[in-house]
Amino acid sequence: MRPGEKVPATARELSASAVGAAAVAVAAVAALAVLAVWRSGGGGVDVAWLPSWGARLAFRLDGLGALYGLLATGIGVATFTYATAYLPRHLEHEERPQGEGRRFHALMVLFMVAMVGLATAQDLLVLFVFWDLTAVASYLLIGFDRQHREARLSALMALLVTGVSAVVLLIGILILRAELGTTSIPALLERAQGGRAVTLAGALIAVGALAKSAQVPLHFWLPRAMAAPTPVSAYLHSAAMVAAGVFVLSRLHPLLATSPALLDGLLVVGLVSMAVGGVLALGADHLKRLLAYSTIAQYGYVVTMLGVGGAAGAAAACFYVLAHALAKSALFMTSGAVTEATGGKALSEVGGLARAMPALAVGSGLAAAGLAALPLTIGFFKDELFFKAAAERGPWLAVLAVASAALTFAYITRFWTGIFLGDLRRPARALPGRLVVPVVVLGGLVLVGGVLVGPFAALSEDAAQVTAAAPVAVAAAYHLDLRVENVMALATYALGLVLVAGRPALAGALAGFARLGRRAGPERAYVAALAALNRISNSIHDIEVRDLRARVAAVLVPAGALVGIGVAVTPFEGAYLVGSFSRGDLPLVVVLAACMLAALVVTRLRRHLPLAIALSGVGFTLAVAYALLGAPDVTLVAVLIETLFTLLFVATFALLPRRVLMREAALRPYGSRRFRDPVVGVISGLLVLLVVWAALSRPTPTDASANRQLALAEQAHGKDVVTVILADFRGLDTLVEVTVVLVALLGVAALLRRGKLW
Amino acid sequence: MTTVLTRAVARLLLAPVLMVAAAVLVKGYADVGDGFAAGVIAALGVLLQYLAFGRAAVERALPVRRAAQLAVGGLLLALAVAFLPALAGGAPLQHAPPPGDEVVKLGSLELIGAVAFDVGVFALVLGMAVATIGLIAATGDEEEGRT
Repeated sequence: MRPGEKVPATARELSASAVGAAAVAVAAVAALAVLAVWRSGGGGVDVAWLPSWGARLAFRLDGLGALYGLLATGIGVATFTYATAYLPRHLEHEERPQGEGRRFHALMVLFMVAMVGLATAQDLLVLFVFWDLTAVASYLLIGFDRQHREARLSALMALLVTGVSAVVLLIGILILRAELGTTSIPALLERAQGGRAVTLAGALIAVGALAKSAQVPLHFWLPRAMAAPTPVSAYLHSAAMVAAGVFVLSRLHPLLATSPALLDGLLVVGLVSMAVGGVLALGADHLKRLLAYSTIAQYGYVVTMLGVGGAAGAAAACFYVLAHALAKSALFMTSGAVTEATGGKALSEVGGLARAMPALAVGSGLAAAGLAALPLTIGFFKDELFFKAAAERGPWLAVLAVASAALTFAYITRFWTGIFLGDLRRPARALPGRLVVPVVVLGGLVLVGGVLVGPFAALSEDAAQVTAAAPVAVAAAYHLDLRVENVMALATYALGLVLVAGRPALAGALAGFARLGRRAGPERAYVAALAALNRISNSIHDIEVRDLRARVAAVLVPAGALVGIGVAVTPFEGAYLVGSFSRGDLPLVVVLAACMLAALVVTRLRRHLPLAIALSGVGFTLAVAYALLGAPDVTLVAVLIETLFTLLFVATFALLPRRVLMREAALRPYGSRRFRDPVVGVISGLLVLLVVWAALSRPTPTDASANRQLALAEQAHGKDVVTVILADFRGLDTLVEVTVVLVALLGVAALLRRGKLW
Repeated sequence: MTTVLTRAVARLLLAPVLMVAAAVLVKGYADVGDGFAAGVIAALGVLLQYLAFGRAAVERALPVRRAAQLAVGGLLLALAVAFLPALAGGAPLQHAPPPGDEVVKLGSLELIGAVAFDVGVFALVLGMAVATIGLIAATGDEEEGRT
């Protein structure tokens, strides 16, 4: 190929971009479908799923489902479009093949499907399945740059924090099921009347939801998750993954509202998250991390509103999620575009880009204005509703609300002006349109929502009615008077400007707070817990796998302990009977004595071949014992298996060099092992003896079922009842067992031929 | 390395061993034995050939390279017998023909669903055993530098 000639796109590159385009198309179609179903009044499906659990595959697109479904699909269209341009450049930077883009786009679509499923699920078990699906997809997406240790650790942290808390959520669900007898959400909301069990379940569910929404103290995974490629953050960490938590709180709000203490707890967590996230965002330098802290704070608003509850709280929460998602997604994409154009990743590395990138500046300016709640943007109404609900609750909450909103105003102003105003720090390269257009479109939507709030208000009104389980009116409008919301907004702007101006003076305190969080925050506890668990796991692993006999002991000793407990708690009366002995039993006794002798010989032998033959001697004498007991089927199988195994043993020895075998045979057990192995063997053997003795001493209760099976064998057209049992009565067991046989073959092939079966 | 006698006996025994295996398989429902035992018997017959003639000769004479496929096929057959009735609305492993119905006979061989299941088990066990023997034999040959 001559220099300068354009490198032809390979098939893999083409297919990656085709998958990307398909992802956009899927999201667009899904968004339109959700919109259409919502406009036509909702709809759903309901199929039987787990009849014995009473769980049904029930989905219904109600107002709340429509809100979160539209967010997942609509923001999906924007971020997927952005990703089609971002990812090829990203993979090029990372020097990875373009074909890996296919996996990325597919995972994004998987995430979207999981979110829509979550938003529409009407059964808590179904909801939980989609909940975990979002966690898995998020793990793979955050860790997409798997060659970076940072990305892998961040992905694991997100998975562990949201995954472990998901188990807490599941426990909550199961308590609800035990208490109220159903997992169907409408039925649960109808039956929940409060009470300690329901409150406990609600608290567990809330813990899971708050961890997912990155609320303090389980917030630390979100800033770490910024190691993900930007489209992931723009999607998962603005409108989808983190929204899932508050979605579940909204979905189950009537249940949570049966306990005022739970709502107060939400209020506290929300307020703390608002404060912590806001302060950290004001101090942050890294672009995406600033936005992540902002997300923590913003979902803190939503959680606070859910804690306030009632019609006003529900309305504010639902509208807030909608307005925030539009703005935050655009801002994340802005940060990615800026990094792509200049290489700068932090506020201290960029600046003065307004002239070079006017479209991006306008689009993200609108989004930032929306987050700062300036008039003529949808954000104004989010704060209007928020202030209204806060003021209704009490003056102290109104003050805290203004303070948090001022923090938001300050950090988002700093974010936008830091990027686009001031001196040009680094020159900007031209960007492809698809990195800019989604930002402009979302910014435009923020503006449209500020002028024509009707459709947005209608959507959140429908959603809020589900959350509040009562009619709700979202009264979003401009009022040119000095009502309390307007006064609070003016106070916010003023205080925000003061914060912007005074930030340099606060820089030391902000950095100190961030340092305190790193030193003594919950992340330290996470890291310490993980390290401790790893140590425990390693030490157990060391004990278990030090050698093959230790591994056998690791099975025998716990099993023996369990059996020993069983023996100890079983009544001794009539358990250990010595039966009568007749002359007819003499052959059996002789054979069993031979078997014992062979077993004893096994323990004394050191060379491999005699060992294998002595072991087969144990098996063959047992087979003879079966024959004397009148069990021809068992005898046949025992003889065949012993023959085959002995031959395979010998064949395997033939594979090993003679000197290795000799060396191994000459090894003497050393140290503690000389005593450990006999002790383990004798104790486990004795316990088995006790159990078998006790079992045989009792009259067999299986006689009846054996007779029944003998009778049934005739009807099954069989005469050999053993075969009939294996192939018919207990056929499913046999099926599972033979499947294991095939798996064992795979294991042998993996060992001997590196997995090649043929 | 093996004597003429061993080889002659091994050659002569193969057909009877397979015949016994087949008998144990199809008569298992009426007499001692089942698919598992039949599979092991047949595998022992094949193993005898390996011992007498070596891997290369056995691979030329018998389709032993297909053993793994045979095992997978056996599992699929067993799964099909177990779950195809479920597709038709019955229970998994539903008895065919139903109790009390007349059994179709081929000579003295009775055709019932469970026999097909047992044939699947037979194929799986035979395939598994022969594949394992082949894998061990191939590894041994590689170590000794034979191919």
